[in-house]
Amino acid sequence: MSRIGRLRSEFGVAWRSFLRRRTAVFFTFLFPTILVVIFGALVRTDPGSGGLFAESPAYYVPGYLAVVVLFTPLSRMSSEVARHREGNRFEKLATTPLRRWEWLAAHVAVNVAIVSLATALILGLVVALTGAPLGDLWTLPLFVVPGIVAFCGVGTILGRVTDSRDGAVAASNTIGLPLLFLSNTFVTPSQLPGWFQPIVNLSPLTYFARGARDAMYGGGHPWIDLGVLVAFAVVAFVVGAVAIPETD
Amino acid sequence: MCPVLVADGVRKTYGDTVALDDVSLTISEGEVLALVGPNGAGKTTLLRSLTGTVTPDDGMIQVLGEDPASVRRDRLGVLPQAFSPPDRLTARELLHYYAGLYDDARDPDALLDSIGVADSGSTRYEHLSGGQQRRVCLGSALVNDPRVLLLDEPTTGIDPAGRRTVREQIASLADGGATILVTTHDMDEAERIADRVALLADGRIRATGTPSSLIDEHGGPPRVIVEVEDEVSSDDRAHVDSAATAIRERGFDCTTTGDGRVVVTDVRPEAIESIVAGLSAVDVSYEGLEWRRPELEDAYLEIAGEHVSADAVLSPDSARPADGRGGDGS
Repeated sequence: MSRIGRLRSEFGVAWRSFLRRRTAVFFTFLFPTILVVIFGALVRTDPGSGGLFAESPAYYVPGYLAVVVLFTPLSRMSSEVARHREGNRFEKLATTPLRRWEWLAAHVAVNVAIVSLATALILGLVVALTGAPLGDLWTLPLFVVPGIVAFCGVGTILGRVTDSRDGAVAASNTIGLPLLFLSNTFVTPSQLPGWFQPIVNLSPLTYFARGARDAMYGGGHPWIDLGVLVAFAVVAFVVGAVAIPETD
Repeated sequence: MCPVLVADGVRKTYGDTVALDDVSLTISEGEVLALVGPNGAGKTTLLRSLTGTVTPDDGMIQVLGEDPASVRRDRLGVLPQAFSPPDRLTARELLHYYAGLYDDARDPDALLDSIGVADSGSTRYEHLSGGQQRRVCLGSALVNDPRVLLLDEPTTGIDPAGRRTVREQIASLADGGATILVTTHDMDEAERIADRVALLADGRIRATGTPSSLIDEHGGPPRVIVEVEDEVSSDDRAHVDSAATAIRERGFDCTTTGDGRVVVTDVRPEAIESIVAGLSAVDVSYEGLEWRRPELEDAYLEIAGEHVSADAVLSPDSARPADGRGGDGS
């Protein structure tokens, strides 16, 4: 009961804090919407052309989802950790029964809630604007949740190593943008140089996008990708929890 | 009474900087100890060592008979320095939040009332005044009804009414058996709050004792400060020197300062009349004359090896003659 109570208390404060930052709420949902509108409705796919967006609309669905699975936890957690550090909140929490991993777990849960809402929005827009099929939708949470856990962990680490909120946001953007476009999301592996492929395989987002695509639409080895993604998520969560400072 | 907080030979360094050097301190159950010192003296490092958030390089720390890292967290209440909780939550929500981290906590609404912010319970933290914010922060340290309370500069930025609330809360908790460590650089605050004071400078405990014992032992004699002029020109300087000479002629030791003040040392209240008479005899007018007993600040400066300056000992609310030119000493 006590651990559940602590998690509920931390979740409640994090959720309310998010909802009351109206610009954060607005842009959290606007960013993926803009991407779907630009790539899905304005640029449009051109199957067989050999250029960018040469795959069928369904190919890009995991890419749109990757936007929120990557950026929402990464930027939110890095700035949240920085905000906590600036206010000496971790020092306070370190003297309460709340454990560091419980704090991180509560914030993961908040991100799951936010990304779930954003995912529903994206899927609705994708269907409406591109006509892409949704495939085996039930498999999606299996990839979305560990993806969020992984990038919450990475975001927490970024919040620890940067020394301000501005620095945390800049660092998350610097890491996030290359990952977003080079992780088998919007650019197919065949469009990248062969020597670059190992780098693609180092990105955890690759295992989310490729795994979710294969699980939803068939093909490949989605469960191997899921295993790698879960392993990365566990490591990132543990390292992230340990990285939370007790004093600044 | 049994010791609740114990530091023995604690040393902590950050690179080449020695934050704590052979610090030993014991605080008994129900005692309020004020840890006093200027910024950078090592107060926060010692407090963090006691909460277990900083690990000393050397020495031993015990809280309630255990290593700080092993103490049940629900027995501690901590207010970190410059603490700022989530600012989009209301005062009531914040206390409910911190209460929710403990199995057994005080009623947040009753706590809001006791810290004097019941009327602002529905106001977001970001919209509270500085004093109200600090009260809510204090409430977050009290919400679990702690046996050991560690407060890092709890009255910084707080208004007089808020200071009184903090003092009342501390006294009430101490009466209930809580052991309390308060850090401050406000000597007056320490004197009001604490049963005992520990003076910390350059990472070392220089003295501990009750405020009155420290003042008696280290505060020096009482003194009179004569404020001859506000603006000191070369002509006015002559008045200051005349005043000092007249006072010396009546058997007192005194020094002059560059801003038109004469500091007379070792003056009993009954001797003030003689000083006034001496000033009248040489027709020196003065704007203020204050008799001042030594305070904890004087003891601190003496112990820390710094010299007492007229600026340091002249309080801003020094008594002044009502007419502003008290040439007759009234």
